[in-house]
Amino acid sequence: MLFNSAIFLLFFTLFILLYWLVFNKIVKVQNIFLLLASYFFYAWWDVKFLLLLITSSLAYFYLGIYISKTENTKWQKSLLYIGIFQGIGLLLFFKYYNFFILPLLGLFHSLNVNFNFHSLNIILPLGISFYTFKGIGYLVDIYNDKIKPTNDPVIFLTYLSFFPTLLSGPIDSAHSFIPQLEKKRAFDFSQSLDGSMQILWGFFKKLVVADNCAAITNYLFDNYPTLPASSLLLASFLYTIQLYADFSGYSDMAIGFSRLLGFNVTKNFNFPFYAQNIADFWQRWHISLTSWMTEYVFTPLSFTFRRTGKIGVVFAILINFILVGFWHGPNWTYILYGFLHGCYFIPLVMQDRMAKVKLKDRLFPTSIELVKMLGTFSLVMFSLLIFKASSLSQAFSYFSHIISFTVFEIPLVFNIQSTLVVIFFCIIVLLVEWFQRHKDHALQFFPITNKYHFYSRSLLLSFLFWAIILWGASGNKTFMYFQF
Amino acid sequence: MERILIVEKLKIIISSILKVDNLMMNDTISAKDVEGWDSLSHMVIITEVEKFFKIQFKLKELNKLTNMGNLISLIELKLN
Repeated sequence: MLFNSAIFLLFFTLFILLYWLVFNKIVKVQNIFLLLASYFFYAWWDVKFLLLLITSSLAYFYLGIYISKTENTKWQKSLLYIGIFQGIGLLLFFKYYNFFILPLLGLFHSLNVNFNFHSLNIILPLGISFYTFKGIGYLVDIYNDKIKPTNDPVIFLTYLSFFPTLLSGPIDSAHSFIPQLEKKRAFDFSQSLDGSMQILWGFFKKLVVADNCAAITNYLFDNYPTLPASSLLLASFLYTIQLYADFSGYSDMAIGFSRLLGFNVTKNFNFPFYAQNIADFWQRWHISLTSWMTEYVFTPLSFTFRRTGKIGVVFAILINFILVGFWHGPNWTYILYGFLHGCYFIPLVMQDRMAKVKLKDRLFPTSIELVKMLGTFSLVMFSLLIFKASSLSQAFSYFSHIISFTVFEIPLVFNIQSTLVVIFFCIIVLLVEWFQRHKDHALQFFPITNKYHFYSRSLLLSFLFWAIILWGASGNKTFMYFQF
Repeated sequence: MERILIVEKLKIIISSILKVDNLMMNDTISAKDVEGWDSLSHMVIITEVEKFFKIQFKLKELNKLTNMGNLISLIELKLN
């Protein structure tokens, strides 16, 4: 049941009518209905793993209560570790079992020691990387006395399985989301209208930009050995936009659907292509994951290494980003991708240039800002060639192919007209987001104050609507981040 | 050490690390209200505070801090 499928839209329409018209009187009843709908949504995708979601949610729920109740600090710590180990353990088993077990078996085999382990054909339960992080964050916050555990199992289970964000985030923290489940929600027309605009922008980015980019990049990446280096460079550029449009489009939809239900979900992207350096980029890209990693991985690491000065900081950043990369899946390409981003930080740390950079509030960027933006974009684009590759050898093959004089040739593509149209849509995304960069999302409009705003807004909305109808890729392509 | 003295010293430490001239110091301000006080500079500030006051924080204590008032109280507690 993808957000961009007819069945989801039918499900959501029926759900929202009942949610606001029938079950809106008592918040407890509304929460039970929301929880059941979330489990129905998950079961539609993955009924086998629904039980896993429920049991691990219950484990986090009861561990949270016991951590808070117990006075003995050692026992408290043990309970926290049990929670972390069950979450990370499940993640390691489902996501990384073969990654660790195969090299180990090879090593023992070369030493003539044979074990009875074998590789397993394991299916990754959807959303496990996201709900595990929510559960672990919840327990750590209770342990640190930052929050009190909820005693209502329905509220906690709904927090972990809230269907708009269940499969791919944003990873909301318990202290921002649980209070919203505890209080009565009222339908707000202007919030809902703004949420609907965000959904429309998400649909545009997913259906018109990401899915059409995918058709081109798939062809170019599949045939790159026979094409000039410029084609691979174009593929790399389009893939960067595709990944962004796909994941931020999904996030816009998830946040928009949540707002229709009366929830404010954390922002996941803040117009990352206008970042002035790589530190700025990571404050704007996959924000909910970066915030989680900063709070629960980077901070403890940098605290441990704090007496070693800048070397300790660099070390903490490298470990943090290697884990960010590895979070995406059991592949050395992701580890290298994370390591590379960690390395990008080194010059910034060494020169004390980490502080947040603010863009000047002007219609167009200054030439220095533009150079910095293009530089940051190029670094990201370069790293995503590794992210895209299925193996390290393929990543190196991309790089060896791209370093060639044929990079100055006119790129060869499968269909020049459709490529130009897709590039045009990419430019639309970049322009609209640039002009709206101070807003929460690209289609957030303040009340219309003059005719100019009314006409420009109407023109943009009708353009997006017709672009989705005429150019929206069909076939319900899944979201790229569902695999993580 | 008196609270007012701690605030004064703390202001000097934070201002020099974040390179800000007129740092507003009150109990309610938090890191996100001060430009440049991010996850990285936070740890630099903590390390400098530890060195200056000759105290040692625990990670759990730092995790509980939500504003400047908490930090000042924690230093006060450690010193006395």
